[in-house]
Amino acid sequence: MRQRLIVILLLLVGFTVTALAQQQEPNKPHVTPVKPSTNKVLKPEKGTDDKIIERYVMGDTAAALEEIRKDSLKRVYPHYPKLTDLALGINIIDPLLMAFGQKYASVDVSATLNMWNRLQPVVELGMGWAKSKPDDMNFTYRGKPSPFIRIGANYNFLFKNDPKYQFFAGLRLGFSLFNYDITDISYHNGYWSEYAQFAIKGQHSHALWGSLVAGMRVHVWRNISAGWQVKYQGIFNYKKNVNSKPWFVPGYGERDRKFAFGFSIYYTLPLMRDKWPVKESKGTTQPQQQSVPQPRQGTSQPQQQTQPSRELPPNVAPLKQ
Amino acid sequence: MAALIVAVVATGCSNDGCIGNGSSIPLVGFYDYLTKKQGSVLGVTVKGIGAPGDSLLADSIDLQQLYLPLQVSTNSSSFVFDFNVEGLPPDTLTLHYEAVPYFLSNECGAMYLFNMQGFTVTHNMIDSVALPYPVINNEDKITIKIYL
Repeated sequence: MRQRLIVILLLLVGFTVTALAQQQEPNKPHVTPVKPSTNKVLKPEKGTDDKIIERYVMGDTAAALEEIRKDSLKRVYPHYPKLTDLALGINIIDPLLMAFGQKYASVDVSATLNMWNRLQPVVELGMGWAKSKPDDMNFTYRGKPSPFIRIGANYNFLFKNDPKYQFFAGLRLGFSLFNYDITDISYHNGYWSEYAQFAIKGQHSHALWGSLVAGMRVHVWRNISAGWQVKYQGIFNYKKNVNSKPWFVPGYGERDRKFAFGFSIYYTLPLMRDKWPVKESKGTTQPQQQSVPQPRQGTSQPQQQTQPSRELPPNVAPLKQ
Repeated sequence: MAALIVAVVATGCSNDGCIGNGSSIPLVGFYDYLTKKQGSVLGVTVKGIGAPGDSLLADSIDLQQLYLPLQVSTNSSSFVFDFNVEGLPPDTLTLHYEAVPYFLSNECGAMYLFNMQGFTVTHNMIDSVALPYPVINNEDKITIKIYL
């Protein structure tokens, strides 16, 4: 009991002495030492545009942040210029298939303008012809070489990647004016014992059709690439003659055929090459304007406080992305 | 663009392959003139007038329908229908037409179409005749109706 009283008294004495001591120094401020985090040279992240740094240093923080936002978007995927490239192609699938027995062919040359590496207007011009004499049938169909045109556009799903490799879908609208003959027609009526040989010549027709296209293109060598296409197509309108319906439509194929294939060789002409994204060493691409900036001469005071290359003064907050 | 996609898909579903015959031959159907329903004719004999060797198309058989091949070297063909009814002479049906050469498709080939221009018929057993289609092509359907 006595020992507890002694301990309590000692504690009371201690608190009293401390309180008195604080009252004896009323003018001394309460100090909590803090080490300023800006008390060192801060470096922007590697690759930050020099223009952004300059705006930040000049105090235009809002503009700098906006530039940073745009800059970060550019880092998501590279942006290609409006006129990325022009691909000139030739479709050679039908001549190849004729070697394997196909009775008709359409050969076309195409011009594909690649815009932003996404949208690709396409023009295809070509000639088509046919000659078919089925083994067990009574005629020979001759489609005279006739022109056709297809126009449309592709959408490149690989717009984030190098234009040398593309996977696309698109639409085409095609039209052709063409002539054909049906010759060597034989007719036999067994009951009446009639035999006849005749021909249907000078047939003129035209057709309008549309196609849904899906395809891909891969780089082969230098500016040469190759592409495959599969088409689902349908004829909107065609001219029926008094004596015939056309069997073959140049640029479309057999009138009743709903699917078609294409294989083309392309030569690509790059456009606005100076605005293409450049590749980094890691394999990703960066916009060209993000190259390492040169030290500036005679700029404002904050730059005098920085290191010669890309450092910020102590009173500038670090750039975050 | 959406309209173009819809149009391509819609037209892509059509198919003009050969779903009919390889030639255009009229198909005759026999009907009851009272009920207008198709029925069988018992023991009928049919032949074309002028057919080589007097060849018969039907020889005393029961028929609901019958193919009548037309000549292409002339603009008419005549057929005799003997219904094997005692006391009634046979009927003669003459069809008038224009034969038009026609290339239909790679699968069906070339053939003649017949633009029907009319007919003449006797009325011993036959009540009437109808040509429901102005053009006879390779479709496998009744193109001449004979009412008895």
